[in-house]
Amino acid sequence: MARACILIFALACLSGCNAQQSTLSVFGADAREIRQIAIVLTVGAVVIFAITALLYIRAVRAPEESLNHHQGMRMILWVGAIGPTLILTALLLYALPAMRPRPASPADLVIRVEGEQFWWRVAYQPPNGGAPLPSANEIRLPVGRTVVFELAATDVIHSFWIPGLGGKMDMIPGRTNRLVVKAEKAGRYRGVCAEFCGLSHALMAFDVVAMEPAAFDTWLADARAIVPPPAIATPGRTLFDAQGCGACHTITGTPHAGIIGPDLSRFGERLTLGAGILPLTTENIAAFIRAPHQTKPGVRMPAYPQLSDEDARAIAHYLKGLR
Amino acid sequence: MSLHDQDDPALRAAQEERLRAVWKPPSGLFLRWTDCNNDRVGVWYVLTAFAFMLFAGVLALIMRTQLAVPDNDLVSAGTFNQLFTLHGSMMMFLFAVPMFEAVSIILLPQLLGARDLPFPRLSAFGYWSFLLGGVFVGGSIFFNAAPDGGWFMYPPLTTRTDLSGLGADIWMLGLSFIEVSSVAAAVELIVGVLKCRPPGMRLNLMPLYAWYMLVVAVMILFAFPPLIAGDILFEMERLLNWPFFDASRGGDPLLWQHLFWIFGHPEVYIVFLPSIALFAMLVPTFSNRHLLGYPWIVLAAVGTAFLSFGLWVHHMFTTGLPKISLAFFSAASEAVAIPTAVQIFVFIATLWAGRVTWSTPLLYATGSLAIFVIGGLTGVMVAVAPFDWQAHDTYFIVAHLHYVLIGGTLLPLFAGLYYYWPLITGKRLSDRLGRIAFWMLFVGANLTFFPMHFSGLMGMPRRVFTYPEELGLGGLNMASTLGAWLFAAGVAVICVDLCLSPRRAKAQRNPWGAGTLEWLAHPDDEDWGIRSIPLIESRYPIWDQKDFVQKVDEGRFFLPDAEEGRRETIVTTVLDARPLAVIRLGTPSVIPILTALSLGGVFILTTYHLYWAALVCAVATLACAIWWLWTGTAEIPEKPCKPIGHGIELPLYISGPAAPGWWAMFITMMADATAFSGLVFGYYFFWTRHADFPPMAMADGPGMYWPMVALVLGVASWLATIAALEVHARGDVGIARLLLMLGIATSLAGIAAGLAGPWTHGMDPENHSYPAIVWTLTVWTVAHAGIAAIMQSYALARSIARRMDPQHDADIRNVTVYMHFFALTAIVAYATIGLFPSLS
Amino acid sequence: MKDRRPHWSERLKVTLWTLIVPPTIWAGHFLFSYLWAAISCAKAGAFATFPTLFVVGTVLALTLIALSGWVAWNQGRTPGASPPHEDSTDIDRLRFLAKSTLLLACLSFVGVLFTSLPVIYLRDCL
Repeated sequence: MARACILIFALACLSGCNAQQSTLSVFGADAREIRQIAIVLTVGAVVIFAITALLYIRAVRAPEESLNHHQGMRMILWVGAIGPTLILTALLLYALPAMRPRPASPADLVIRVEGEQFWWRVAYQPPNGGAPLPSANEIRLPVGRTVVFELAATDVIHSFWIPGLGGKMDMIPGRTNRLVVKAEKAGRYRGVCAEFCGLSHALMAFDVVAMEPAAFDTWLADARAIVPPPAIATPGRTLFDAQGCGACHTITGTPHAGIIGPDLSRFGERLTLGAGILPLTTENIAAFIRAPHQTKPGVRMPAYPQLSDEDARAIAHYLKGLR
Repeated sequence: MSLHDQDDPALRAAQEERLRAVWKPPSGLFLRWTDCNNDRVGVWYVLTAFAFMLFAGVLALIMRTQLAVPDNDLVSAGTFNQLFTLHGSMMMFLFAVPMFEAVSIILLPQLLGARDLPFPRLSAFGYWSFLLGGVFVGGSIFFNAAPDGGWFMYPPLTTRTDLSGLGADIWMLGLSFIEVSSVAAAVELIVGVLKCRPPGMRLNLMPLYAWYMLVVAVMILFAFPPLIAGDILFEMERLLNWPFFDASRGGDPLLWQHLFWIFGHPEVYIVFLPSIALFAMLVPTFSNRHLLGYPWIVLAAVGTAFLSFGLWVHHMFTTGLPKISLAFFSAASEAVAIPTAVQIFVFIATLWAGRVTWSTPLLYATGSLAIFVIGGLTGVMVAVAPFDWQAHDTYFIVAHLHYVLIGGTLLPLFAGLYYYWPLITGKRLSDRLGRIAFWMLFVGANLTFFPMHFSGLMGMPRRVFTYPEELGLGGLNMASTLGAWLFAAGVAVICVDLCLSPRRAKAQRNPWGAGTLEWLAHPDDEDWGIRSIPLIESRYPIWDQKDFVQKVDEGRFFLPDAEEGRRETIVTTVLDARPLAVIRLGTPSVIPILTALSLGGVFILTTYHLYWAALVCAVATLACAIWWLWTGTAEIPEKPCKPIGHGIELPLYISGPAAPGWWAMFITMMADATAFSGLVFGYYFFWTRHADFPPMAMADGPGMYWPMVALVLGVASWLATIAALEVHARGDVGIARLLLMLGIATSLAGIAAGLAGPWTHGMDPENHSYPAIVWTLTVWTVAHAGIAAIMQSYALARSIARRMDPQHDADIRNVTVYMHFFALTAIVAYATIGLFPSLS
Repeated sequence: MKDRRPHWSERLKVTLWTLIVPPTIWAGHFLFSYLWAAISCAKAGAFATFPTLFVVGTVLALTLIALSGWVAWNQGRTPGASPPHEDSTDIDRLRFLAKSTLLLACLSFVGVLFTSLPVIYLRDCL
């Protein structure tokens, strides 16, 4: 049976294993260590299962009285009690040290992430002080450096999970949890919400970009240098003003400073739309503005069905140009 | 009556005629449902739980079909959330726990050679509560009003009325109602095992099923009340806006998680141990020998029960608690694997030592052990906290828990079904269909759940209504869905087998050649349960005791007659089962149904905020309960003693610790005290969460004066009742009545004094978690003072009505047990709210 | 036959209540450990470098469990017929309860040791 299942797994993998959101294809130190633990545990489990199964088969086939009372009691004592106790003690001694959290220093980059129904509010807090850099639904990390995530939530419980980077950590209203990680391999990855948080729990993901340290520093410096978008009244920008989008969204360098919804500064450089669920194309943005509930049930953003397709595309075009 | 009398067939026939008349079930379109015979109530219970299982299974099939391919839109996100919430909740609360209680209601009296359980009407009450609550909760999905917050119902998602609708109330109140019936069943089972064993069945001869039931029922007693406490806080927040879980007003969502999982983890073992209990019955039968290592099984059952209460935080490994706390629970989670391994090797050793007869039930047992061992091993994996940080809330956990529950509950129940069907219906199920179904179930379960280990590790979170194609999880999910359909087809084959049963011929008696007492059951069974209550000298009396079956059938053991036309059974001592008394059992009555209906009304009407109607139902419940107790309990018998055969004469009335009623009160109050400790935990939990608790602005709390007055009054009421018991036993009935009146007065005064503390200090429970928890402790204690007054009045009324006298004082003895617990509650509650603020 | 007064450990009556003594001690120790860590971390933000309180509690728990196991073992080794002891006699009932208590004491002992291991490895409240 198990063999058949492994075969199915192999087939499934051939049809396309993802490398972006998996505990098996790792890019962080913690995920790598945990994968090592998982391999040890799995091998142990398979061996124990095989021994138990063989003993059971032997027991069923054994002729009567091939085991007398005394031998039976000895078997229960040694195989049933003492053996498992020793194995579990060894396991505990192996696992406990692995629970120690990764050390962090005050000099490390702190990224505060707040979960909200159904998106992620991000703020980079550089160690050298200065105003935090707000962002949303995308996290950039320097490879090879320790990063501290401060995790919180405002409405309901969410859970912050980047499978390739390390274990998950819940975001609980009223609490701030810390997760210390270290990325080891540059690339584009994906994280998701792992705690059920309502209607669109399944549609609450985010992009993770692990960058070489130098590239990351450049990116952060550029992003923090506030360059207002050219103050030319493009149709999209006018519509964005007129529809009151700024009541909820912020675009730095403009009067729009709403904090209810995701920050849209440098929106055009993001990889996806709607918290990791759609490719960032003008069509998708326009459709999302007109009917966000179509793709994301329960989303807080109101629908704008009154916008013509053309107007929606104009706003989308404007947003996509923000970098 | 001597042994020789039983040689006379005419006498035996006359006895049988009398027994038959006494145990005749009620008939008629309506009245037949008032029956309370364990055989019939148990069968209704089993069928209802089975139907809920099929229903919840269909919900799962819809889910699996939705997830067959990526980005599917068979059902909406909203419907999907209702589906998984209801699937989990129903399988746990409406199938797994009630099913084992149902099976025990059928089996336990037979295993213990008793005519019935000690409180047959309580079983009937439990059943009707279960049916009503189950239909209420399960039916909600047809009105698109089913709960949709997951079976764990984490606040604030579920407590915020803007984020979750009626479904959350239906879950909370509907299932609270069922929890009450589960606790009722636990009381029944514990008293049954401890006090209603046949003479000679010492603790070391008890069938292992009874040992497991004892352990599991005790676990229910300590596991369900914290959830009831959580439910109370939860509904206070939803209905009254008391902020226990609202962080902005000093609450903490994690309090719910603690209370829920203190229930939730033992729950896993509550549904798993009964299945092992079934194995412990059928493995010796098919090994044709005594079970090896009987004390080891007791070790395993008791050890698991204890350890299972030290595991709850392993469901909270990712909540950010200090690693040291997680590590304690990680260690305990690994320790619990030891007793589990012991049980498995006890079975292996027994099979090894015996001569194995291969059979369909053994096939199911083997398959379920295989599946369970996989689930247990992945359980050890997720007990390793770092691994759990990755696996938690992913499909890996879905795989793990279904391996545990299918291997540890569902398939063992099917093994039990094939094993015990002849016992209940007198007919065997088809071996052929059974085997076909087994292989469909076995392959289906593995095909469904094995791939989920991988989809989880490949990043698929739980409780998602869909997943993107790019994740490459399509193939694994398709395999799972196909497996689920295969599994469902297997269940359908079993259903067909069951439906064909009425057309089959009766099997012989004891078709498997088992050695335990329950197999005395005759294919053409009579309603009296057992012809005469045997003297037990072995763990396997049918195998070991000479002419055992014949002697039982010919009434050569105890209580072969019903001379006074009453339903009776024998009460024995806890350790050595020495006969103590004969008790009269409850007869069919409409009271249990009415009580269940009115109690159900309280819960269901509260869901719809119909508070006045709910209050009417609450009064009706109280009236029914008093009517029930007044007419049905502690009846003074027409003569003090009666002979039960072999020259033994036993009293017909007992009170105090020897009596089942005293034990029932004691056990119920243990559950009550546990629920209370959940609330007290809440108080101190908030203390650890806040730097200043009570908060500066309300540092006064309820003051010290009124809580201390209430404490003194509570203790006074307790002492008055104890004094009343003592002088009553000495025959001073008048003084005892005066003391009871004093007790009533102090109880009532205690209500006023208790409320005065938070009231005079203007504590507003909607403001902050502190006043809210103070009010909760106060209301709980005050409500208990009210019940104390009612109980004291009841004892007084019984005395005045001459239904209680110094020789027959069960009522006041039971009330005193209540008062001990009440005094404890008052002392802890008032000391906490009155004295703790000045300490911290 | 009895030429001496039975030792106190033999006079103690094993019952259902004594059966649950060792696991109850485990439960008490477990609760103590959890509360000790939770309260230290919540109120002080750390626990002592050498956790005296915890060590004392653990040693006490281990001693009590060992003691109850020893009492049970002492009671259970009543001379008599060879195993299996599964008859309806006072002595077999005693043997059964004693054996079960002894086994539970072993399990509880291991349980307390397991619970105390984390303190060796984890020293802070993170």
